[in-house]
Amino acid sequence: MAVNVNRKKNYNLILGGGLTGVIMLFILIGIFYTPYDPDAMNAADKFAGVSIRHLMGCDNFGRDVFSRVLEGSRTTWLVAAGTVFIGTFFGVILGALTGYYGGIVDEILMRVNDAVFAFPSILLALTFISISGSGRYQVVIALGIAFIPSFARIVRGEFIKCKNMDYVKNARLQGAGDFRIMFVHILPNTLTVLLSAVMIGFNNAVLAEAGMSFLGIGVQPPDASLGRMLAEAQSYLFRAPAYAVFPGVVIILMVLGFSLLGDGLKNE
Amino acid sequence: MRYAGKKMITMLLTLFAVTLFVFLAFHLISGDPATSMLGTDATPERIAALRQELGLNDPVLVQYGRWAKGFLTGDMGTSYSYRLPVGEMVLDKLPVTVTLTIMAFILIVIISVPMGIYTARHAGGWVDRAIYMVNQVIMAFPPFFAGILITLVFGRIFRLFTPGGYVSYEKSFAGFVSYLFFPALAIALPKAAMAVKLLRSSLISESKLDYVRTAYSRGNATRDVLYKHVLKNALIPLITFLGMALADMIAGSLIIEQVFGIPGLGRILLSAISNRDYPVVMAVIVCIAVLVLLVNMAVDIIYGLVDPRITVE
Amino acid sequence: MKRKGLKGLPMVFVLTTLAIALSGCSGDKKEETSSQITIGIPQDIEESLDPHKAVGAGTEEILFNLFEGLVKPESDGSLIPAVASAYEESEGGRVYTFTLREGVKFHDGSAVTAEDVKYSIDKCADTSNGGPLVEAYSNIESFEIKDASTVVMTLKEADTEFLAYMTTAIIPTANENPDTNPIGTGPYKFVSRSPQENFVVERFEDYWGEPAGIRDVTFRICSNTDSLVMDLEGGSIDMFARVTATQAAELSDRFEILEGTMNLVQAMYLNHEAEIFQDVRVRKALCYAIDPEEIMMMVSDGKGTEIGSSMFPAFGKYYMEELNDTYNQDIEKAKRLLEEAGYANGLSFTITVPSNYQQHIDTAQVLVEQFKAIGVDAKIQLIEWDSWLSDVYQNRDYEATVVGVDASSLTGSSLLRRFTSTAGNNFVNYSNADYDAAFEEGISSTDDARKTKYYKECERILAEDAVNVYIQDLPEFVALNKKYTGYEFYPLYVQDIAKLRLAQ
Repeated sequence: MAVNVNRKKNYNLILGGGLTGVIMLFILIGIFYTPYDPDAMNAADKFAGVSIRHLMGCDNFGRDVFSRVLEGSRTTWLVAAGTVFIGTFFGVILGALTGYYGGIVDEILMRVNDAVFAFPSILLALTFISISGSGRYQVVIALGIAFIPSFARIVRGEFIKCKNMDYVKNARLQGAGDFRIMFVHILPNTLTVLLSAVMIGFNNAVLAEAGMSFLGIGVQPPDASLGRMLAEAQSYLFRAPAYAVFPGVVIILMVLGFSLLGDGLKNE
Repeated sequence: MRYAGKKMITMLLTLFAVTLFVFLAFHLISGDPATSMLGTDATPERIAALRQELGLNDPVLVQYGRWAKGFLTGDMGTSYSYRLPVGEMVLDKLPVTVTLTIMAFILIVIISVPMGIYTARHAGGWVDRAIYMVNQVIMAFPPFFAGILITLVFGRIFRLFTPGGYVSYEKSFAGFVSYLFFPALAIALPKAAMAVKLLRSSLISESKLDYVRTAYSRGNATRDVLYKHVLKNALIPLITFLGMALADMIAGSLIIEQVFGIPGLGRILLSAISNRDYPVVMAVIVCIAVLVLLVNMAVDIIYGLVDPRITVE
Repeated sequence: MKRKGLKGLPMVFVLTTLAIALSGCSGDKKEETSSQITIGIPQDIEESLDPHKAVGAGTEEILFNLFEGLVKPESDGSLIPAVASAYEESEGGRVYTFTLREGVKFHDGSAVTAEDVKYSIDKCADTSNGGPLVEAYSNIESFEIKDASTVVMTLKEADTEFLAYMTTAIIPTANENPDTNPIGTGPYKFVSRSPQENFVVERFEDYWGEPAGIRDVTFRICSNTDSLVMDLEGGSIDMFARVTATQAAELSDRFEILEGTMNLVQAMYLNHEAEIFQDVRVRKALCYAIDPEEIMMMVSDGKGTEIGSSMFPAFGKYYMEELNDTYNQDIEKAKRLLEEAGYANGLSFTITVPSNYQQHIDTAQVLVEQFKAIGVDAKIQLIEWDSWLSDVYQNRDYEATVVGVDASSLTGSSLLRRFTSTAGNNFVNYSNADYDAAFEEGISSTDDARKTKYYKECERILAEDAVNVYIQDLPEFVALNKKYTGYEFYPLYVQDIAKLRLAQ
């Protein structure tokens, strides 16, 4: 059985790595080259089907879906990465402090954490949009804040587990300061757990971006993001199914690649 | 008892923080109930008069205090938009969300437990592989898109339900439940996929532990070992997951409610936010928070039942 | 014990779920009851049901079936007597005398009295809450009950258009909860409502006029307009008043698609307080940059009616088709104008669009592309309707916005008054003495030809001064199941359900 599992996990790693690689390549190409201007409209090509000229057909404005998918993948990827970055950065700090020190600080911060968790993310997003206008950065900040609690909770759990372990006690005896212990000694030991949390968080962020676009509070038109394209495409599901299929497939592949990669790395 | 008391206090603290945050957020967002209620015909004078009448000119903390006082004395206020008592409105929609959540929950359990056990027992087989891949793909679907596809496939093509044909539970409970089946499925699928994965891996890691080997070596049949010892222990992470999933579903079936046209708490919350109808927003949030807390408590109790070693502190 | 529980429980779940799923199949549809219809509406009536307080267009179009004024609008744009059976205009439009109709009843069974009429009008003219509910009522000098069936209204200044405002709903003096329990005299009466679910009305059997064709009407809130085609085909709704061109094309032949116009002025409204739009050359350049035809092509498959000023075709005598050609797309000219205005290197501004109107969002997207051709960099900013109301409409804190402005009554002034420099709803901050003078002439003239002349002058100024970038009157597609017939379009934003009947 052990042998079996070994072979499978390589599968995940290869497939996940491959998919993620293809998506990244896709995004890279999109930075330097798109066949058409992603925003250029053309009435004659409205809902044009898949062809050599338009590899993924055209949308309701006659914009080239392939070019928009290239641009949209980048936006979506950046939104997800930014979200996870904010979530991880603050989540680690909060989780480390609360987990390591415990006591009243822990109690207060965890309650604030709960409050953010229970706070409707839509309202959070709207608040940001109201204060600083809408756009991809606001989406990143709103989602990032919404993601902090879950990261904080995971890190906190790890810190509680680790703080009484021998190596920590050793470090303390050797006179290491609290911050040194937290970030030099304990943190590296939580990396495995954190890594899989980041993978899952990334995927959740991709899906959350799509959800926000569905509710009309994501990135602003005419900017493309995969979620926004998918949300727009569903109005034309019968007339131009290709328009929904391609952004949908890319979202699915993006998420799938990351989660396979995550599974693969975990078993490594 | 001490446990319950402590939980109560933390709940009140959390509620205090959430409601205060929400209040502050409303203060920051542009637009207010007065402009919403008066629409395009409003003159600045009339808006000012209505703001005065609604007490919107008071400092935000005074307004919050007024709300909190009302809430604690059982008066949740009147909806600015519907002009209906908020308590009544929320109680009316609560069963919808609760039923939807319970149905989704049941679906998660009946899908994930047998599949989890099967895939664990036949780990490495092609069925396991296939289920794994299918699960991964399901988890990668954006929820609203999954909802649309389910409507398309089961509603339009197979005609198993009438798209958009929500039936109120007051009118016909059977009709209500049968309409909610597919939305519940849409909510359940991604969570069930995660649960299968989780149960499988915890079963496998559990079965590698010493006591299982011992049981085998004493000549116990595989089935018996699996059920008696392994499953019981492997259930702990699943219960944790299900608890989180349940809490998540209560707070987050908003998108599915929107896609399937189900008038639940999520829809009420969404419309109340866009109408700046904050008495309703506050009530819904409190309602959701309390439900989530109850779920968390239930999870703790179930831990104790499954594994007596875990005691509630 | 435990083991059994674990094995047995899933079985029960499976069975119940199966039962549920099966009941879903057999449950199919209810048999066709003789006269009932379910009408889909895109958003809930999220406000007071008091017709005087209701402000949402979506609310007003439904309450139209529940309430009536002394007069009511007809589908051809004329006003017909309703609660009043006759009216008389005297002293050049300064005094109006109404004779109340015999035997008009409220939905609660009580008869309409002159007191009810006076109460309703007084309520809308009341200034104690910072201004009258109907702004035009500030012109009322007195409203008196002459006898049990005659009321006389005297205006401060003569206004021949004033009758159009007498569509104000007549409500009973004695209604404790007008906000949640609407009582009117219309062909339908209120039954129930459930937030975010539905709004139910039934035929009012004691209606004074021709009774409604269909007895039970349910307005169902369709939160996801993207699945409308499936909702209609699946039978959960029988009618939807504003499907898109794409949806109309996708519906099967079980549905009739009626095509009309939305009767609104869709334009990119410009804030004249914004520095860049104070220069008429910039405004003209924007007008030259756009091509309404292309916008219509993109947004609604080429359907729609081009307009060139703040007036739409339903107004017949006031509408000036020739103004559509004030600016025809001319990129070179637009560029030259920008250059003259000192924006040779381009300029940029933000278009604020309410996020709940897909057609305006789509229009804005096409505009952005068309502006690119003349070196104008426009950004779209979506905001919620409520934020739009306060930021754009009330506080006028914006640069440009794409919306549709409708007429609140069947008068030319309802569209033109807002551009006079002192109008409270002049959200574009337009100020032009010539315009104010022309409007003043128009509104005060009692002679129809003269009034028309000055209103046309107003429209011409709006077009030539490029006050806004006028686009179109949006097309409206009504999808109606062929089981029903009798739908009629109005020049106002209303849905007259009473005229629907079963097709046979």
